[in-house]
Amino acid sequence: MRTFHPAAMLALVAAVALGACAKKEPPPPPPTPVPAPTAVPTPVPFKVTSVDLGKSIGEDKKIKETAAAFAPKDTIYAAISSEGAAAKVTLKAHWTFGAKNQVVNEETRDIAPTGPAVSEFHIAKPSGWPVGKYKLEVSADGASVATKDFEVKK
Amino acid sequence: MAFPDEKEPDFSDVESGSSSSAAKPKDEVVTRTYTVVGGDSLSKIAKKIYGDGGRWTEIFDANKDTIKNPDMIHPGQVLKIPGA
Repeated sequence: MRTFHPAAMLALVAAVALGACAKKEPPPPPPTPVPAPTAVPTPVPFKVTSVDLGKSIGEDKKIKETAAAFAPKDTIYAAISSEGAAAKVTLKAHWTFGAKNQVVNEETRDIAPTGPAVSEFHIAKPSGWPVGKYKLEVSADGASVATKDFEVKK
Repeated sequence: MAFPDEKEPDFSDVESGSSSSAAKPKDEVVTRTYTVVGGDSLSKIAKKIYGDGGRWTEIFDANKDTIKNPDMIHPGQVLKIPGA
């Protein structure tokens, strides 16, 4: 009967083990690209940030040069800057004259802003504005958000 | 005889307008006002604003909170003018 020398047996076991270790593993799959985290925008609630008065506006609806005093034949513009989004906001411009707050004009406009916006209201009086002090009150959805005093001088 | 409102200026010829860089809601509504002067009637105002005196009912409907009788409007009264 043929016998194996223990050293030969060890060598055989080592060779088998080595062979097993040397077996090529399949290459790992390429790492799946992790999409960069995208910032989820927090909805900004609608808010009026400023109200400016002037004699003219640009294409962006902003007042070209703010003013607090006007001439009788001027068209008076009010530019209402806002930020935030809303499905519907009702802006109102309420113009009054004198200490008795006599109503000069009132106009409302519905808007659906999706971000920063400028809305303008304007009034003119072909026969000329009476000299005196005026006030503009701006409201959004019925809540007063700003008032502006101005004057008409000769 | 002096009336308290006698010296109040007449703002009935005030012209107004508005615009916005924001989008319009689907059911956009724009309303302005008109200050009644002596001799006015709703049909005269409708003729002046819309060019059609027959549209006085639109003004009446928009002002039912302040006008109980369409034949009774008074100088200085501020009316809402729908869709003008």
